Amino acid sequence: MKVRFSILRQTANSPPWLQDYRLEIDPGATILDGLNRIKWEQDGTLGYRKNCRNTICGSCSIKINGRSALACKETVGQELARLAAIAASAPTAEIPAIAIAPMGNMPVIKDLVVDMQGFWQNLQAVDPYVSTAARSIPEREFLQSPSDRAKLDQTGNCILCGACYSECNAREVNPEFVGPHALAKAYRTLADSRDQASQTRLEKYNQPDSGVWACTRCFNCNAVCPMDVAPLDQISNIKAAILDQQTVPDSRSVRHRQAMVELVKQGGWIDERKFGLRVVGNNFRDLSGLLSLLPLGWRMLSRGKLPLEFEASTGTAQVRSLITAVQALESAKGSPETSTTTPMPQESESEPISKTAPSGPESFGWTAYAELLNGRFAMIGLVALLLLELFTNQDFFTWLGLR
Amino acid sequence: MPAALKYAYFPGCVAQGACRELYLSTHELTQALGIELVELKKAACCGSGTFKEDSQLLEDSVNARNIALAEQLNLPLLTHCSTCQGVIGHVDDRLKASQTSNPDYVQQINGLLTQQGCSPYQGSTEVKHLLWALVGDYGLEALEKRVKKQLSGLKCAAFYGCYLLRAQASLPFDDPFQPESMENVFRTVGATPVYFQGRTQCCGWPLASYATEASFKMAGGRIQEAIAAGADCLVTPCPLCHLNLDSRQPEVEQAIGQKLGLPVLHLPQLVALALGVEPEKLGLGKHIVSTRPVLEKLGLA
Repeated sequence: MKVRFSILRQTANSPPWLQDYRLEIDPGATILDGLNRIKWEQDGTLGYRKNCRNTICGSCSIKINGRSALACKETVGQELARLAAIAASAPTAEIPAIAIAPMGNMPVIKDLVVDMQGFWQNLQAVDPYVSTAARSIPEREFLQSPSDRAKLDQTGNCILCGACYSECNAREVNPEFVGPHALAKAYRTLADSRDQASQTRLEKYNQPDSGVWACTRCFNCNAVCPMDVAPLDQISNIKAAILDQQTVPDSRSVRHRQAMVELVKQGGWIDERKFGLRVVGNNFRDLSGLLSLLPLGWRMLSRGKLPLEFEASTGTAQVRSLITAVQALESAKGSPETSTTTPMPQESESEPISKTAPSGPESFGWTAYAELLNGRFAMIGLVALLLLELFTNQDFFTWLGLR
Repeated sequence: MPAALKYAYFPGCVAQGACRELYLSTHELTQALGIELVELKKAACCGSGTFKEDSQLLEDSVNARNIALAEQLNLPLLTHCSTCQGVIGHVDDRLKASQTSNPDYVQQINGLLTQQGCSPYQGSTEVKHLLWALVGDYGLEALEKRVKKQLSGLKCAAFYGCYLLRAQASLPFDDPFQPESMENVFRTVGATPVYFQGRTQCCGWPLASYATEASFKMAGGRIQEAIAAGADCLVTPCPLCHLNLDSRQPEVEQAIGQKLGLPVLHLPQLVALALGVEPEKLGLGKHIVSTRPVLEKLGLA
């Protein structure tokens, strides 16, 4: 069949251009076959990476029709069928040529060849090797049970092709973020029963800018991975291990996760006012966080967007006891991935919150009554700060004379 | 004319809170189209993708309960939030697959549910976003017949939301990398779709509370791109995208050092305008970025 390849070409530091190549090719041929034919028969100056031709080495990742993929895996016929389906769903679109471009998030060296130095450095940054430092060398091999080995199957499939990194939305705006490939590998080492560095790993992967909390959950990594490694799922697994530690270092991202569960237990739905005050304002302990909410609060209030009341789900009691039951089950199970840590019996969460006022003098901690008071004080505080700013035209710190 | 459509309606947290205008406009839109909604008053927050970071069982149980509420009514579960759709839809997909591949897991969840007096999960219904209900169940041809006010000349840029496109294994109508459903709705109501690369990407909302700079830079890039493509407004099927793109737009402007001022409409607001619903009923005054330029362009202001 006759096919047109439209390839985005570039030499480093100069503007890219689109070049079209036409060829007669079998629909079963891979995109890589097409590139080879172009290079061998039409234009020897076309640059791209290739090696194994069998989706094993991960060398030939490029963007094919708008998403990163392995050139040796996708076929001409499949791509044309995909384009035809898209064209059929949009009456105005024509079937375009197969569009080929270099991967994203990495500078172009030439044509489809990108500079992957950052990709490798970020992989290095997560210590992607099983650590046996604390262990004396045994007489035999380090043994592992088949079920422990099976935990490494999915992440072990990664061929480091860079497709996930190329599409990562968090990488676009945060140069510190190590990226999905590195964190998938990080989970592979964390989940390895032979690894003895869980604690230091969890501290490292918990770093706000470089670690798991910098992921924006755009799902691109899961969507493009040619080996079904599902990097986002592995990032979630690391987060679960972090949250499951006996003592979790406090941070906004950690409070975010804790507040979600607590508030759903309280009202079924999330009360967004309380959520902001807890997560960003740290219940009035983080004044600058709280002040950062003021412009937003004021803006929302003035547009009638700030919810003035909260209506709990009528199924709240049921959801609360369901979550409590799940939590009890999870703490009983322990955390198999991180054998060095045991889940903390979270008193705040394992104890059902009664909806009425404290049932007796022994009621301490996150009772419904305390939560109600907390919520009231939070709203009074927010309104007081808003009024203060409105009437004095000063922010809180200036008003205090601290600025 | 499609047969009378009826859904178990999952409103979600944000439409009942900071995006009340979405709740209002979904109500107006479905009324105008004769679609009946039975609101799931007993439902609970889907977790917006964070429950499974605590525990997969937590995400699956809470959402199995949500789905079972719709199953009890024998109705499909309707969402109007990309994130709710992605999370609940994904749980539904997983549990349906588990019924054959890992029945013990479904049994464990159903044990938990029945212990707490909830109905068990059966896998007998579907989870459907309002966008898919419009395109698939109601149908664009039927919708076109109900259009009273052609939105001619309005250039709309879609903002799909990650969870709608990529959280589930397959999409009913779209290619996840080059979707057309939103654009087809725009064409149906007489508006002009504007394409830009960011329409299928992340708005930055998941990072907004703890990595604010990255989050706002991300949102800023998307909005700039839509403006450069000539958009009069963004239109989104996701209230969480709406929060970052509209409610936080002043901070986004600060983060990128550029004035933007691009209105962001919820999908049902746009469609309801074309059906002749008065703008006041759609909460269009409840936006942070004024929607007046859009209404002026349509001769509705």
